[in-house]
Amino acid sequence: MTSIATTTTAPPRARKLVGAGRRQWIGLLYVAPAVALVMLFFVIPLGMTAWMSLHNWPLMGEHSFIGLDNYWAILRDTRFWNALKFTGYYTVVVTIAIFAVAFPLAIFIERQRPFTNLYRTMFFMPAVVGFASASLLWSWLLNVDSGLFSPAAYDLGLIDKKFNLLATFQPAFWSIIAMVVWKVAGFTMIILMTGLQSIPQDLQEAAVIDGAGPFARFRAITLPLMRRTLALALILSVAGSILAFDQFYIILRGGPRNQTLTAVYWIFNQSFVSFKLGYGAALSMVLLVVLVALSLVQLWLLRKPEGLD
Amino acid sequence: MRTLIAKLALTAAALGCGLQFAAAETANIWVRADGSNFMPRIVDAFNKAHKDQVKLDIIPNAEIIPKYGAAAAGGTAPDALSLDLIYTPSFAAAGQLEDITDWAKSLPYFASLSPAHVKTGTYKDHIYGLPFSADASVLIWNKKLFKQAGLDPEKGPTNWAEIEADAEKVNALGGNIKGFYFSGNCGGCNIFTFTPLIWASGGDILSEDGSKATLDSPQLRGAIDLYRLMVKKDLVPAGAQTDTGANFFAAFAAGNIGISPSGAFAIGALNTQYPNVDYGVTFLPGKDGNWSSFAGGDNFVVTKGTKKLAVVKEFLDFAYSLEGQTILAKYGSLPVRGDIAKDALRDLDPRYQIAAEAMAKGKTPYSVVFNDLINSANGPWTQMINEVFFGDDVDGAIANAQETMQSIIDQAPQK
Repeated sequence: MTSIATTTTAPPRARKLVGAGRRQWIGLLYVAPAVALVMLFFVIPLGMTAWMSLHNWPLMGEHSFIGLDNYWAILRDTRFWNALKFTGYYTVVVTIAIFAVAFPLAIFIERQRPFTNLYRTMFFMPAVVGFASASLLWSWLLNVDSGLFSPAAYDLGLIDKKFNLLATFQPAFWSIIAMVVWKVAGFTMIILMTGLQSIPQDLQEAAVIDGAGPFARFRAITLPLMRRTLALALILSVAGSILAFDQFYIILRGGPRNQTLTAVYWIFNQSFVSFKLGYGAALSMVLLVVLVALSLVQLWLLRKPEGLD
Repeated sequence: MRTLIAKLALTAAALGCGLQFAAAETANIWVRADGSNFMPRIVDAFNKAHKDQVKLDIIPNAEIIPKYGAAAAGGTAPDALSLDLIYTPSFAAAGQLEDITDWAKSLPYFASLSPAHVKTGTYKDHIYGLPFSADASVLIWNKKLFKQAGLDPEKGPTNWAEIEADAEKVNALGGNIKGFYFSGNCGGCNIFTFTPLIWASGGDILSEDGSKATLDSPQLRGAIDLYRLMVKKDLVPAGAQTDTGANFFAAFAAGNIGISPSGAFAIGALNTQYPNVDYGVTFLPGKDGNWSSFAGGDNFVVTKGTKKLAVVKEFLDFAYSLEGQTILAKYGSLPVRGDIAKDALRDLDPRYQIAAEAMAKGKTPYSVVFNDLINSANGPWTQMINEVFFGDDVDGAIANAQETMQSIIDQAPQK
């Protein structure tokens, strides 16, 4: 794809310079809308964030330039590093959980069999709900007095006393994991399914003839050929989890006892509860660096091995 | 394409003319969700009687501060807002509010406006906020449940021991019925309803000028022990532990709770929305009697540089009229004009008198970092109350909160 594009747009050297210049201008014109959008909604805001991070910038009132002071303050901000640590822990757990659920589902629905479309729709359905709405729904499901899980277990006689799932760390944390898996696994499943479907059937058949068992085929054929799909699903999942906020804000308010404050939650608190926009911007820059670094590491880990196309 | 542009230009011109000829202006005003019962009614009444109009937006309690700050930074702030009075000092300090000293002092009834409001509305001897709605914390009890439990339905608890004993009796009715309710994970709710228990017993959590946190006191410990005991005896629904304020009022309104600390707003809200709940109102007592209250409510503040100042003043004038004060009182706020409070309350529920008295003698903490200290869902106060009511390490939680609160106060910009 890339190689074809390069050959058609790059003009032969023999052509007149005028023509080449014009073609390039037309090319620019074609990408201009996309460039304008990226400039307007990404590059300029990013530049402003970087600029703000060098200021003491309250939500209301005058701001003043303070150089790198915000960044020095971050070094001593143990609550931010704790939040980042928790975010890392959450990301690892939730990513493993999502893949553990999404991969079997993808294998299950990959091929046409009775009701496949129904299953696909069913598993994918939660993905179309917004994170905030899903959080509100689960916030009710998890409510100890008027929700579903605890009252149902109580009424069925499974427990003698209603158990407040959100009151202590472990049940609260795993409730959130369950909610995120319910919400996101369907989406990851679809990505993985397209990867599975792109593997030529004859490779699998050849391996069967050669006597490879299902595990050997999965390890030697399926996984390597899904490298790019996996990279996409992994990066989406990791980036999404590191930026997690809605579910912890809406369901838990960072509780119980501030044990589930994520990095973005801390940035939100600094910016809009403590009104320190400049500091929040500096925290955002740090989080951006962390996220870019992690994505690069993932791309490197899942890079195309030498000599394999 | 060209015709479209022409049409647009024409419409714009027409709109422009329209604005020029009609002198009526529309001011945009925000109120937090606590005012959602009385504010729309007073705005309706104003709009019906005046040429100038007010457009009201109701914003969730927890969102109004960040939302206003963001709107102010983006130049889309409302012309005025009804602001939780404790925020007035920090908003004024940030230079966000219009100085209304001259206008305020020209009001003939200025001297009889609620003192708690005017005190927090004043910053460096200039007035930036005037009282709009008032709310005092009180204790409410369910008369029907009291009767069923064999208690005197006309007599509310007057000290801590009675709160606990009455709650236990009501709780013994069983089923869905619980003795006591409080929002155990809501800082704002508990500064409003829990600290009066401490004040009434002679303690405090902040020094008078807000420069020292004073959490380590026997009065605070005593009040904590009262709540812990009721939690331990299972008199409180399990959901209280994680209630961030969503059920602060709703739990009692459902009719299954014996006693709950609440506010004057509950009188109007119960009367209009839950007429079947038969309830009594009394003061929040101290350990051995005595009583106290948090004098809360909203200050009316004007965004600096607004072009609709005239409409805003007209609206506030209307709100201060007897008609305005009566609407306020009827739908859940206490009157803020002392000189006509009696008239405004005359035909209303006598239970308002208790709340009005609580308001008059209530306390209001003063701090420029109130949000960080108290109201923030992740602040030291919220974390502490949750830990001390439901956790195991009371001393550790208090010591931790004391240290964090003091460091927040010390780090606050000195202005």
